[in-house]
Amino acid sequence: MKVQEFNKSKIPLVKINKKLDKFKGKVLFKEKLDMANKLLEKAVLPKIDTQIN
Amino acid sequence: MKYKKYDYTADKELYFYEFTSIGRKGEIKKVVEYSKMNIEGYYNLAFGDFDIETNEINDKVVTNNGDSLKVLSTVASTLYAFTGKYPNAQIFATGSNEARTRLYRMGITNNLVEIQEDFDVYGMKTDETFEKFVVGEDYLGFLITRKK
Repeated sequence: MKVQEFNKSKIPLVKINKKLDKFKGKVLFKEKLDMANKLLEKAVLPKIDTQIN
Repeated sequence: MKYKKYDYTADKELYFYEFTSIGRKGEIKKVVEYSKMNIEGYYNLAFGDFDIETNEINDKVVTNNGDSLKVLSTVASTLYAFTGKYPNAQIFATGSNEARTRLYRMGITNNLVEIQEDFDVYGMKTDETFEKFVVGEDYLGFLITRKK
């Protein structure tokens, strides 16, 4: 990416923090994740143009 | 974002973000997490206080550090970083209680004009259907997707 393009980009420069690697594979907010999964279990999801990552 | 935000750092996969809230109660570490949900392509967005001494996370505490708008703006700004790496991710967020969900709604409302430039925002209604986010409506949760 050229500098001019980068300056216009809204994607922020993210400083990587290796200390956060200790969270890899963990779920920090498990209760909230469980609650979110339960909420979406029966939900009628909006139709979105999805391409799975 | 039109509101000020804190600088943050992230893990290399951009699933976890950390920043420091600075306010009347001092410096409080915050962590933002995007975690995979049961539905493929969906990620849950959650954030809360991180206790350095106990290594524990608390998403229920009311920090009351006097900087909630700045904190919410910071959390909202991580959407750009996360969806920059995972552009097809569907991001779901809900509060740990009704008051916290309203706080999320406030965060979206305050940044809505800018968020909608790049994201579609949906609100989950009590009948478990979604609609395009309407300012002032109560929702159970929020779904955010990057515009194509």
